[in-house]
Amino acid sequence: MKNSENILKNKHFQLLSFLLTSARGCVDEPQIYGPLRLLDAASRVIELMEEEKKITPELLTLKEKINRCIDVLMYDEDEFVKMLDDISKDLGRIIKDNNK
Amino acid sequence: MELMGIIKGRRAVRKFADKEIPRENLVKILEAAIWAPSGSNTQSWEFILVTEKENIEKIKLISPGLFGNPKALVIVCINTERAKKGGREGIEMAKMDIAMASQNMMLMAHSLSIGSCPIVSFNKVALKELLDIPDSIDPKLILIFGYPEKWPRAPGRRPLKEVVHIEKFGEHIEE
Repeated sequence: MKNSENILKNKHFQLLSFLLTSARGCVDEPQIYGPLRLLDAASRVIELMEEEKKITPELLTLKEKINRCIDVLMYDEDEFVKMLDDISKDLGRIIKDNNK
Repeated sequence: MELMGIIKGRRAVRKFADKEIPRENLVKILEAAIWAPSGSNTQSWEFILVTEKENIEKIKLISPGLFGNPKALVIVCINTERAKKGGREGIEMAKMDIAMASQNMMLMAHSLSIGSCPIVSFNKVALKELLDIPDSIDPKLILIFGYPEKWPRAPGRRPLKEVVHIEKFGEHIEE
């Protein structure tokens, strides 16, 4: 990292910045924003894995679901929770299948 | 577009097309802001317009609620020195005033086919540092603007018969 301009474009730094400001934000923001920020961070982690060529098709599908889930929160909180459960189930399946 | 159409058509837009907003349209949006009402006409507001991509990206870094790809931001601030002219309620009034100014901006934007979204989730301390905002200026809201990739569907509204009370609380309007 040669200068500060470079670090601003670094995806890890961007994630770090997001996590730190989210931590402060979550103190005052609505409770439901906690899961929202975590989902956003999860999506960013998958993007990082994609850039680092450490991705699988299942994770790309998971990222699409995560992003849809974020959109749904604005309209339907119950559906948001259902989608979170669905994402959790997918994650469980990914872990199980990779353990074979 | 008639007024009710503009009011009902406005949406919180976060996904924007890769198309710049002409400067004259941004000026119209800002002009709409300064014609909002304000308590005791204190006009305790300041607006910071940000359009440079590099600067928008820096602000996104410290704003968890600011995702998407807006082409312009307006940071809506309370000038706390001016707000003092409003007495003890000055700051409370200023909050209402900037809310009305913000709505003016979002409606003007929509009338120009520009989408917008108000963002509260940003780190105020970091933003003040980043943009050299003085102590007396309190950033409260970031409005994002851009031409929508698509207009989102409308979330439900609590009906008039639930939220409107006629003459006294609890007597609801017939629809």
